[in-house]
Amino acid sequence: MATTSKQYKAIGEDLWKSRTDKINSELFALTYGALVVQLIQDYEDYAEVNKQLEKMGYNIGTRLIEDFLARSSLGRCSDFREVGEVAAKVGFKSFLNITPTVTHSGAPPPSSRSTSAAQQSGVPGSSFILTLDENPLAEFVELPDEALEGGLWFSNVLCGVLRGALEMVQMQVQVEFLSDVLRGDESTEIRVTLLKYLEEEVPVGDD
Amino acid sequence: MQAAPASALSALADPPARMVDGAAMDYLLIEAVNALRISSAVASARAKKIECDMVEAGLVPPPPPAKQQNPRDSASSTLGKISGPADEDEGVRSRLEAIGMHVGGNFAERLCRDRPLFSDSLDVIKFVCKDLWISCWDKQVDNLRTNHRGVYVLQDNAFKPISRISSWEGRQEALKRAKLYVALPAGIIRGALSRIGFQGTVVPEITTLPQCTFQIKLPKNT
Repeated sequence: MATTSKQYKAIGEDLWKSRTDKINSELFALTYGALVVQLIQDYEDYAEVNKQLEKMGYNIGTRLIEDFLARSSLGRCSDFREVGEVAAKVGFKSFLNITPTVTHSGAPPPSSRSTSAAQQSGVPGSSFILTLDENPLAEFVELPDEALEGGLWFSNVLCGVLRGALEMVQMQVQVEFLSDVLRGDESTEIRVTLLKYLEEEVPVGDD
Repeated sequence: MQAAPASALSALADPPARMVDGAAMDYLLIEAVNALRISSAVASARAKKIECDMVEAGLVPPPPPAKQQNPRDSASSTLGKISGPADEDEGVRSRLEAIGMHVGGNFAERLCRDRPLFSDSLDVIKFVCKDLWISCWDKQVDNLRTNHRGVYVLQDNAFKPISRISSWEGRQEALKRAKLYVALPAGIIRGALSRIGFQGTVVPEITTLPQCTFQIKLPKNT
C-alpha cells in the first residue's frame, strides 16, 4: 500500500509542528548569506565557491539524514519516485518549512499506480526535479553582476545536502541546480538524478 | 473608520515570522566553521604568495625574522612561518565574528523597527539582554553586571550555541572548541550594538560549559 502524496504532506506537517526548536528564518538567511560572501572573498572564484558550498552541504547532509530518519521513522523508500516525494514533502518541510513541488521524469501514468512499484524508477537515470517556490536561504539576497556572470549558485549547499543524505541511504545521486530566481530565472529548480544504488559495504576488518 | 478584520490586515502588514528548524542552523554553523577554516587557509596562502612574489620582484623588502617567535624556534625560516593552529584559529574567529556582525546588525534593525528610540546605553544593553537574546537564543540573559562606566558583563548560564558541545577528547578540548564557536554570537552582539550606534567591543569568555559571559565595553561618551 503506497503512501500517498497527501499522507507524506501530512507527515511533513506533523513533523514540523512537533519540532520545539525553531529559529527565525531571517537569522538563518542572514547567516548563510554572510557565509557565502565570506567564501567569495576568500576564494575569489565562483566555481570554487560553488564546489565548497556543495561540499559543506554534503557534510551537513550526512548528519541530517540520521536526524531525519530518527524523527520521522519512515521506512525504506520503495523506489526513486518515492524518494523524491519524501524528500520534498517530509524532508524539506521538517527542516526548512517549505514544500517544493516534485516533478518526476519517466514516471508511470497515475492510473497504473497499483502496479507501479514493480516497474518504476529504480532505474539509474531516473530523476526528479524539485521546484522551490520560496527559498529561505535567499531572503534579502540580490546577486551582483559579477556573481551572475561567474556562475554562482547561491543555494548550492542544498544540492550537497541532498547528495550527502541520499548517499547515506545507499543512493549515489547527482544533484544540480537548473535555474534560480536569484539569477533572474522564472523559478528555482534542482534536479536529482539517480546514478546508482550503492552496495552496503562492511568496513575492512570488521568481521 | 471601522476596525476591519484586524487579524487579516495585521497579518498582511506584519506577517508572522517564518521559521526554520533549529537543527538546520546548528548543522550549518558546524559546517561553516570547517568551511571557513579551509577558506581562510586558502586566503592566507594566497596573501602569502602575493607577498612572496612582491619580495622576489624586489618591490617590498623581505620581512624581518619575527622576533616574537617562540625562542625554541630560533632556527626556523626568515620568512617568519608563524603558522600553526593559533593563526588558523584567528582567521576563522575573525571570519565568524564578521559574519556575526552582519547578522547582528541586520537582525537588530528588524527587531528595532517598532520600538521608540533608546534613551541611553543601559537601555541598549537591556535590549540586547532581552530582545536580542530571546530572538536568537530563546531565553534572556541570566545576569547583568555593570561598573556604570561603560563596561557591562552579561552572563548566560546555559548559552544555547554551546550547550551541546562535547568532545571525545574530554572537557578541556570541548572548552577550547567552544571558545571558537562563541565568536559568532559575540559578533552578533557587536553588530547589533554597532547598528544601533554604539561602537563597542565584545569579549566572550567561557570558564565552564555551558556558561558563558560577554564583556561589553562601550565608549566613554555615551
